[in-house]
Amino acid sequence: MSSIVGDPCLSCSQHRAQSLVRLGLSPDRWDYLVALAGNPNTGKSTVFNELTGLRQHTGNWPGKTVVRAEGAFGHEGQRVKVVDLPGTYSLQAGSMDEEVARDFVLFGRPDVTVVVVDATRLERNLNLVLQILEITDRVVVFLNLMDEARRHGIALDVPKLERELGIPVVPGVAREGIGVDDLLVAVNEVATGVRKTAPFQLDRYVDEIEDAIGDLVPVVEEVYPEVPNARWVALRLLNADEAVQEAVLSGELGQLSRDDSGEVHEPPIVSAREKLLSASVRLRWKLPSDFHDIVTQHTYDEAGKVAGRVQMHGIKKVGFTFDRKLDSLLTSPVFGFPLMLLILAVVFWLTIEGANVPSAMLATLLIDTVHPWLKGLSSLIGIWGWLDGLLLDGVYLATAWVVSVMLPPMAIFFPVFTLLEDFGYLPRVAFNLDSLFRAAGAHGKQALTMCMGFGCNAAGVVATRVIDSPRERLIAIITNNFSLCNGRWPTQILIATIFIGALAPANFGGLVSAASVVGIALLGIVMMFVASWLLSRTVLRGEATSFSLELPPYRPPRVLQTLYTSIIDRTLIVLWRAVIFAVPAGAVIWLMSNLTLSGESMAYHLVEWLNPIGLLLGLNGVILLAYVVAIPANEIVIPTVLMLTVLTGGLVGGAGPGVMFEADSLGATEALLRGGGWTLLTAVNLMLFSLLHNPCSTTIYTIYKETRSAKWTALATVLPLVMGVTVCFLVAQVWRIVAA
Amino acid sequence: MDTSEQSVESLAPLESGDLRLGDIPLQQTVELVNIDLPEDQAEPLLERGVLPGCQICPVRSSPSGDPIISVDGSLLALRRETADCLCVRLLTALQDVS
Repeated sequence: MSSIVGDPCLSCSQHRAQSLVRLGLSPDRWDYLVALAGNPNTGKSTVFNELTGLRQHTGNWPGKTVVRAEGAFGHEGQRVKVVDLPGTYSLQAGSMDEEVARDFVLFGRPDVTVVVVDATRLERNLNLVLQILEITDRVVVFLNLMDEARRHGIALDVPKLERELGIPVVPGVAREGIGVDDLLVAVNEVATGVRKTAPFQLDRYVDEIEDAIGDLVPVVEEVYPEVPNARWVALRLLNADEAVQEAVLSGELGQLSRDDSGEVHEPPIVSAREKLLSASVRLRWKLPSDFHDIVTQHTYDEAGKVAGRVQMHGIKKVGFTFDRKLDSLLTSPVFGFPLMLLILAVVFWLTIEGANVPSAMLATLLIDTVHPWLKGLSSLIGIWGWLDGLLLDGVYLATAWVVSVMLPPMAIFFPVFTLLEDFGYLPRVAFNLDSLFRAAGAHGKQALTMCMGFGCNAAGVVATRVIDSPRERLIAIITNNFSLCNGRWPTQILIATIFIGALAPANFGGLVSAASVVGIALLGIVMMFVASWLLSRTVLRGEATSFSLELPPYRPPRVLQTLYTSIIDRTLIVLWRAVIFAVPAGAVIWLMSNLTLSGESMAYHLVEWLNPIGLLLGLNGVILLAYVVAIPANEIVIPTVLMLTVLTGGLVGGAGPGVMFEADSLGATEALLRGGGWTLLTAVNLMLFSLLHNPCSTTIYTIYKETRSAKWTALATVLPLVMGVTVCFLVAQVWRIVAA
Repeated sequence: MDTSEQSVESLAPLESGDLRLGDIPLQQTVELVNIDLPEDQAEPLLERGVLPGCQICPVRSSPSGDPIISVDGSLLALRRETADCLCVRLLTALQDVS
């Protein structure tokens, strides 16, 4: 992304337009490094975007930034690199986020750490500030959401807070760019050393603890003379902090204070490091038994005291009433559930209906216009027939199909979903559904990732990062595939319309087929609960963690920015991955239809071989083969099925071996499929199998990237397949008995 | 959760007359005395502002009895089991919430 200099649309003051040069993505070199820390949902990412001109997505639910984002800006002729850390409530390194944030503040050696603080929740936010001040004294506090604080009747004495903390405190409203100027100045002053900070010191502990610290500090200073904050290191060691113990043992701790001259301190010898560790273990015996609680409580107490001293009360309270009224409706025991179903139904309806026209237009363009044009071009320049077939009929068509079927629904679903997210509705969905998830031994936030899965399972798997507990996160990852994704809706709708809608009287056909598709989606949700329950009773057994979810205030969604970010962040990334996987699939489909063995195509032999298994499951060989080659993308199942049916059934029609096509009308599709031996059972079982089979390769790859485990990836791949085969087999047997 | 363990946990403090957040009627503000949870489970609560000495008010409850509490100016959804582990103290005599 290029730099945006003095963009007139942004509500920036004259001064900032001159002094702030947004440099976008992370630079190779920089004059100083700024870390952005803060509690979740305090507007940290908004500050990041204001500074860098990047459009990092900012969702209105806790725990959005999980990986750290980097960007840069120029100010007063200096290049500044900014690292946006995950939002955390503390630096105890209890969760993945907290570990990332703490390690960066500790080992990333930022020149300045900016802590974004929610002015409406000062006490709990100060807890993090105090913890960071224990590690580094180069800190600037950005007191964000001052407007919300005012609305909630909270006034803060900023100069007093600045005196109490001994570091610069800048009040502002990041969403409107207010205070960003002053923040830049303060950051610059602290980074360049113009402004010296005199950070708040926590009170001393009781004597036993102070004695132990006093004994350990000299050892720390002896082993790691360059560490600036020996007291903090000693305290963490006494607290048996694993990350710090490891840093001591590996010698990494010494890198902490490496100065900018480029001189690297040799880590102390191994025996010295071990000496330090054993000294801390020995001293731990002298500590009171509730030492850990004392230390934790100590920071909270101090934060509470400071907050109490700077908050001015007695101001008339406004606001909240709208939030409370909306909440009493959206999380109501009576209306909560129906409203949720209604909202989700509207989202799906918008997606399916809205995608029809652009999908058809893309198909006309890419498949009906560009494809023949490319074919013409290739025959003109005389490319070999097989290469022409492989590239244009195989690879190109598969890719074109994926793009035209996948892009429009995703470009609608994700922005709409993101608007709901920005507004603050999603945590309420999690709350409404939590009791069901708890019964299944899963986490309430799985409701969010499940909803995301209706858009795309790969995106749903990534979204599980918001679940802290590794066990519950794995359950959410493994079961995400039970959400019927956008790529599978078109198959469901087509088959339901042809085979099931046709059973009803003409007027009700549409309704019946829509109901059957919704039924399949609901069955998916049921299966998701069943699978979660099974997993939490078997391989992922464990205690349900206590669930506490912050319900953020409703905030008006920013429509344009949401459109932009959700299309960039989610739609295009997912589409790109799908295209990458569609390319080899297209090649395979074409090759197996055109390579022959004793007079028949490979596809014919494969279908013949798969047919007995397919019939046992109430399907057929064509469908099974289509699902094998369509692992890269569910979107190409129907075109592949049609092509294979024509190819292997010796039927008239189609566009030639290996050339995927869609019939001109529903009637033509139906005639083709019935010609291929399809019955109502085939249709029903295809719908079931489309819901219950292995995830597409994009999702499998994403699962592997997220879990870093072949075992869990394999389980996530095989589990739905086994369930699908079982369900189809049972349905086929019962169906045949009843029919006979 | 192991049932036997749970019953021991919830019985002991009741004997000493402790009041749990789960027993508090909606809209009744109480003060948190103590969090009766293992440290790793108490930590997320502390971080979200549920600190001993703070004022908590259950504002709503889900059909299955899970409360939404108002604490330190924000709303927090809890599970019922968690609410039952929060020992609280009344600020005033119980209001008649009929």
